[in-house]
Amino acid sequence: MMEQLTRLLSISLGAILINNFIFSQFLGCCPFLGCSNKVETAAGMGLAVVFVMGIASAICYVVNMLLVALGLGFLQTLAFILVIAALVQFVEMFLKKMVPSLYAALGIYLPLITTNCAVLGVVLLNVQEDYNFIEAVVHGITGGLGFMLAIVLFASMRERIEFSEYPESFKGFPISLVTAGLLALAFMGFSGMKIF
Amino acid sequence: MNFRKQLKEGVITNNPILVQQLGMCATMAITTSLFNGIGMGLSVLIILTACNVVVSAIRKIIPGEIRLAIFVVVIAGFVTIVDLLLQAFIPALSASLGVFIPLIVVNCIIIGRAEAFCQKNTVAASFVDGVTQGLGYTVVLVAMSVIRELLGSGRFGGGLIDLARGLTLDGTGAGIRIFPEEFGAGILTLPVGGFLTLGFLFAAMQYALKKSAEKKEKAAKKLKKEEASEA
Amino acid sequence: MKNVWKLSLVLFLICAIVAAVLGVVNELTYRRIDELQAQKTAAAYGAVLASSEGYETLCDQAFTVSANGQKVKILCISRANNGKGYVVETEVSGAQGNITMVVGVNLLFQCTGISITRHAETSGLGANAASTAEVGVNFRAQFKGQDESIALTREGGAIDALSGATITSRSVTNATLAAILAVRDLA
Repeated sequence: MMEQLTRLLSISLGAILINNFIFSQFLGCCPFLGCSNKVETAAGMGLAVVFVMGIASAICYVVNMLLVALGLGFLQTLAFILVIAALVQFVEMFLKKMVPSLYAALGIYLPLITTNCAVLGVVLLNVQEDYNFIEAVVHGITGGLGFMLAIVLFASMRERIEFSEYPESFKGFPISLVTAGLLALAFMGFSGMKIF
Repeated sequence: MNFRKQLKEGVITNNPILVQQLGMCATMAITTSLFNGIGMGLSVLIILTACNVVVSAIRKIIPGEIRLAIFVVVIAGFVTIVDLLLQAFIPALSASLGVFIPLIVVNCIIIGRAEAFCQKNTVAASFVDGVTQGLGYTVVLVAMSVIRELLGSGRFGGGLIDLARGLTLDGTGAGIRIFPEEFGAGILTLPVGGFLTLGFLFAAMQYALKKSAEKKEKAAKKLKKEEASEA
Repeated sequence: MKNVWKLSLVLFLICAIVAAVLGVVNELTYRRIDELQAQKTAAAYGAVLASSEGYETLCDQAFTVSANGQKVKILCISRANNGKGYVVETEVSGAQGNITMVVGVNLLFQCTGISITRHAETSGLGANAASTAEVGVNFRAQFKGQDESIALTREGGAIDALSGATITSRSVTNATLAAILAVRDLA
């Protein structure tokens, strides 16, 4: 029991800080760079990703077990992306009906998540690392939290950069990338951390 | 069909990465050696061309409401085919690109081209578009790999080129050493280096595009002046 | 409602076609993929403990061994048919996910060599442990002849850690120790 808990803790810390989806694995960079103009939108996107990554990890774990049992492992990618697309649609419909306030907050970010490689990435990594059901779900949720942490930090930095001076050719996208690089440098400091 | 115009668009003026800002995850993640860069670029080129052809071939028979789902299924199909073929024939590349091969499914370039181009164009035009956009993608990947590998570890062509054996496809080529590894800025081979290198490439591209726009403007102004003076 | 049926039918048909095509490609490639995997494992076995007479699997039920406080998964233990020793497949968590490696152990419970078959370590740092370049070859060569007292130099042993990759080096060392312990318990 205790051992299981430390393992879960290690997976969580790993997913949030050490192997942060954006800064060390480069998963989910498109929404990371695209939806980080304002802190509020970044937080909304982050929340949506946590939500979808958690549920996707759970469902894809079951789907993968089915595929492996049937000897159809090669259909993994196809099945996962369909599950994710359907899931995003479903979550959208569910939220619209049941929790309209959250739906309004997440708004246009939900459909965008289908093409977020962090979501497909996390389910593929779950399979690769051979996680069991609970570990997979924890990995999904904490991976999403790591994404959220990264995107909110980044958005607040971008808001300030707007007002600083830098060479004109760097306007817009390039300066954001350089900022993200420096942020990734800071996150590299965590790579020495290891619980066991 | 205007191949040269489309080529110029794909590689320079409408480059998928540097201008359309699509598909950056893999661009930053795998460009640590020339072997990876070329391998990834060509994989995407093949998948993009195949998807473009299929999507434009079936564009009239698929219902608009579920077109995105169908695109995704077609893309996932081709990605899996390439993934299996790589595992079987170039296992070193498959091991080195890892999870980024299946992740081509969500590479926005492919779904973006399907939505923006193939839906409205013929099969032949879509084929050319796939090749030219794929080339544009590959060029950027190769540039990133060469810069990061050279400055980061003082090598050129790691994994792909071996002085003793020529081209190697098993990923074990030592590359050509330009300067000793100790003198390289090792940070460029780490994730941080991906962000920084792409940032600087972007800036260079913006600078170049702006300069050429200014030049054109100047030329146009000059022409106008001449016309005015003639009149 | 009728429209929904039509749409799902179309989507289903397309999925079915794609799945069928994938089935064909899989049929064409899976033998080669399995073969390559087997070749790779065989090459790793040969590199750590050569045996022209092949290997006999003794135990392929995974279990964990604790080495210096780190949990190491032992995936499979085989005996070399030439009587020179054992080959152990292990899995250990490195700095960035799991490292799978093969360790050769002789009858004196000394390591005869290691070979890393799968890893996701940071390129340029931890990944050097598996590299075919000089730095990787030298790193792995240190393990040859080590026994139960194996440890990093900073912990009083004889293994020089890769620069900038203490965690990877420690994991590889602990996996080697675990393999030696597992073989000793079995023998």
